[in-house]
Amino acid sequence: MRLAMVIDLKRCVGCYGCQIACKAEHGTPPGVFNTRVVKQEIGEYPTVNLVSLPVGCNHCSDAPCVASCPTGASFVWEDSGIVDIDPDKCVGCRSCMMACPYSNRYFVSERLDYYGDKGPTIIEAYWNAKTQLGVVRKCNFCRDRIMEGKEPACVANCPAIARHIGDISDPTSEVSRLIKERGGFTLQPEKGTGPNVYYLPA
Amino acid sequence: MNTTVRQSTASVKTQAPPVDDSWIPSSCAFCYGSCSILVHRVDDVIVKIEGNPESSVGKGRLCAKGASGLMIHYDPNRLTKPLRRTNPNKGIGVDPGWKEISWDEAIAEIVGNLKRIRQEDPRKLVIQRTTTVTANKNPLQAFAFGFGTPNQSVSGGGLHCGNGAHLISGIMHASWGVVPDFENCNYAMYFGASKGHSAGHCSTSNIGLAADARARGMKLVVFDPMCNFASAKATEWVPLRVGTDAAVALAMCNVVANELGALDIPYLKAKTNGPYLIGPDGKYLREHGSDKPMVWDSTAGAARTFADAKAEDMALEGEFDVGGTRYRPAFALLKEHLKKFSPEWAEKISTVPAANLRRLAKEFATEARIGSTIVIEGVTLPYRPAAAIAFRGNQGHRNSVYNFLAVDLLNHLVGAADVVGSCMGFPPVNHGHPDTGRPSYAPVQTPDGLMEVGSWMGWHHPYPIHDPQLPQTLGLQAVFPMGMTSPLLDAPDREQTWERFGINYRPEMLINWGSNLLMSIANKDTMADSLSKYKFIVSFDLFLTETSDFVDLILPDCSYLQSVDSRANFPTIFSHPSGMGEWSWPIRQPVQPPYGEQRPFTQVLLELADKAGFLPDMLAAFNATLELQAPHRLDVSKKYSYEEICDAELKTNFGEERGLEWFKEHGLIKWKKKPEEIFWRHFIDVRVPIYWEWMVDLGPKVAALAEPRGLHIPLEYYQPMPDWLPCKSHECQQPGFDFFAFYYRDTIHTNSYTTENAWLNEAARLSPFSYTIAINNKSGQRLGLKSGDAIVLESETGRRIEGCVKLTECIHPEGIGVAGLANHWSKGMPTAKGQGVFFNDLLELTWDRTSPVNLNLDLCVKVKVTKIGEAP
Repeated sequence: MRLAMVIDLKRCVGCYGCQIACKAEHGTPPGVFNTRVVKQEIGEYPTVNLVSLPVGCNHCSDAPCVASCPTGASFVWEDSGIVDIDPDKCVGCRSCMMACPYSNRYFVSERLDYYGDKGPTIIEAYWNAKTQLGVVRKCNFCRDRIMEGKEPACVANCPAIARHIGDISDPTSEVSRLIKERGGFTLQPEKGTGPNVYYLPA
Repeated sequence: MNTTVRQSTASVKTQAPPVDDSWIPSSCAFCYGSCSILVHRVDDVIVKIEGNPESSVGKGRLCAKGASGLMIHYDPNRLTKPLRRTNPNKGIGVDPGWKEISWDEAIAEIVGNLKRIRQEDPRKLVIQRTTTVTANKNPLQAFAFGFGTPNQSVSGGGLHCGNGAHLISGIMHASWGVVPDFENCNYAMYFGASKGHSAGHCSTSNIGLAADARARGMKLVVFDPMCNFASAKATEWVPLRVGTDAAVALAMCNVVANELGALDIPYLKAKTNGPYLIGPDGKYLREHGSDKPMVWDSTAGAARTFADAKAEDMALEGEFDVGGTRYRPAFALLKEHLKKFSPEWAEKISTVPAANLRRLAKEFATEARIGSTIVIEGVTLPYRPAAAIAFRGNQGHRNSVYNFLAVDLLNHLVGAADVVGSCMGFPPVNHGHPDTGRPSYAPVQTPDGLMEVGSWMGWHHPYPIHDPQLPQTLGLQAVFPMGMTSPLLDAPDREQTWERFGINYRPEMLINWGSNLLMSIANKDTMADSLSKYKFIVSFDLFLTETSDFVDLILPDCSYLQSVDSRANFPTIFSHPSGMGEWSWPIRQPVQPPYGEQRPFTQVLLELADKAGFLPDMLAAFNATLELQAPHRLDVSKKYSYEEICDAELKTNFGEERGLEWFKEHGLIKWKKKPEEIFWRHFIDVRVPIYWEWMVDLGPKVAALAEPRGLHIPLEYYQPMPDWLPCKSHECQQPGFDFFAFYYRDTIHTNSYTTENAWLNEAARLSPFSYTIAINNKSGQRLGLKSGDAIVLESETGRRIEGCVKLTECIHPEGIGVAGLANHWSKGMPTAKGQGVFFNDLLELTWDRTSPVNLNLDLCVKVKVTKIGEAP
């Protein structure tokens, strides 16, 4: 099985629900977004459009981040193809960040608190106790949720029902069907990394 | 390439299991949507908030605001103790010298003031709340009614967002607002609205419905000065000059009615006042005795009352002699009236090419499929899959009423109102839960055959319109029967106005819940002057805000995650989208105790009423407003906790066994919607007014009261058929003032309050528009601007706001778009401090910028742009 995500740009309204639901699921610190929404203008007035593009780790089939990791901290789950990071093995060298053509990895070197000198909130303290500093972080398709039989937080929460996850190695799966029927595309395919996040045209 | 592949068993780690690990059903409180939520609590820490998939309110999904709720709840800047000012001097940025005091001291001081004022004149107390949390209307209203003051205010709510949209939706659709029937609509036209695109009532549910509609192929045409939310998802964005919606809508009405003749004649005859005969005086021909409006019965060849004639026999056109006087059907007058609004005329006003207006009008009329029917759950219904929708942006102008009405007339010409596929009110009919038949409401027929709402959120019903009277309230609402909230309470010349209107008392005490008045109505100086005149201000707050500089006593409130409400949503014209599915009645319940000295404001209000001696009156008000029934009616000689009152409401509506404890366990109750409820218009014999006959008398009556007292009433605003009337900004001829600045509601924030939420603030800082001033690329370049430059916008009255410019292709060349109301400076909201742009500081709170009909504020300002700093 290889998990892939399909993001339907026709349905997405750029509400940032995924970006914040992800933050709520993983308690990521300031400046870290396992998924985020990028807004881009295409065209010129008056035939212009403002496109919302949610981005995150592409869980590439040939992930350069994994290949470049000197310690084996960046790895691929055999059961799903999810690209993940083992914080116990990560030494914070950031080779993976240099290798990733999508800039969707974050190095967290020190504790940053959302409310500054007031210190961590109760919820930040809860997450601080669970996470390590000096390591690289990124999206892992909410692997813990998937193991519990749930969808990733961004998929489950999306009010526009714009995100789907499923097995792209199964040609009958919903994600395979959507990619085929709607002309799904990946970002920067020319980099040759085999991204597993697909977009459906608006 | 996979150098490292791991088996799934490798990552299993063992942790001590939590003692408490629960998912508690409750309700969000970050906007009117009040989506149903599940709160994940692990060992007394709220670790996550998700949507509750059991509920049709939000359908298990949340917007960014809802998902981020715990960051407001856990904000270390939350207030935890009552505070009293020690510095008697009040002013913007003047340190109040806060001193922590006990609740006993705070209550004693408030009770002392309440007792004195109630004895002197209870109207001296003003109750003020934010509209964002709809559940709080009832406790604050019961307190006000019990105390005996008619002075209740909702800050910028109404003045900015809906005196026009809500009142007119009430008159024409029996509901608080309108939305396309997303499940069936094929062609929607939006005007300054973004429903279905993360904004407005039922925000989250509507996002999913609108996405389904797009996927299904619904065409969306958006008239808007800016291309960001609905316009960014539109099939076609139609940029227009700010505030000219009525011009383009009337031109399209003209094309539909006169050039295309695409009219739903049976609908106009049976479901509008189009056949009512209008005399030379502009008023109905009424039957002598019964006073019922009359129509021309073509079969009988005579005038008969609307109740006596068959709809198909009613004439819509022609001229008829009755008793020697010539009468014409209202529809004939409207059709003729529309002729003056040619697309070429509208192009000059709006900049929208006439050819586009003709094309779009034709598309709309064609897609309405006049005459077609559809079967929904076995019921055959009219099918009009086209909808013209307006909201805040459209009606945030002095011409608020006509801007909204002109758009809605498009629907009524083609019969696309509250039938399948059409422009729908948020459902105004409910037959109640099958076990109890409650809650139950529906629009009813008025003596004139028109429509009165069955469920309404405060103030007066939108229709029938009562006669203007000399006012009791400080906002002079009685003078303006088509208004709701009023800017006159805080206007710079309010003292003179009160004197002239014979208001023989002055406001002395203000109790505020959660509103930041200094920033949420108009410029801060006007608001500061108004607030500084109160002798005593009490405010329930989560944070010290800019308004706190004028407050005497701050009371630390509970967050929504520490509060209980028996009706988290105002049922149901706020919380349910159109379309079939389920009704849900969710509650809000505390998942955390108060922190420090925080207390729920509901309990504080009950204690204040008790100690000040008016608890029986407050309980009687609860009995009335919550419509409590025996045996759950409150005994006014007893004392109750707010939880007990919630319990009484739930048992009244859903039976003895379903009180608060049942709801705490289940979170909500739900039942199936019926086609007769959702597509009610076909089943209820009511008509909507396409000709506003009451305006003929209303204008002169209002003028008779207001003109001698110094408020000019331009009668062109009080005509029975709409027109395009310019805003103050359209009249500005000063050189250098080249742009129409307007503000819009950002999807990521609810007004300015959520800018203190660190997650939302971070997201907004990364968004291109949330905290910037949007100017058209070419227009900005002409001024030598580049994105990131610091600029000042100066109004023609000399008010100035600052911000960073964002040059964009996504805005009309004459428009300047500002996302919401931000740029706090309070030390009590350090995350929000300095973030974004404070648009309201440009606004004047003066009569010439107020709708003389519904008191809506003119929210567009002609400005001059000056660069004050280079982009970093």
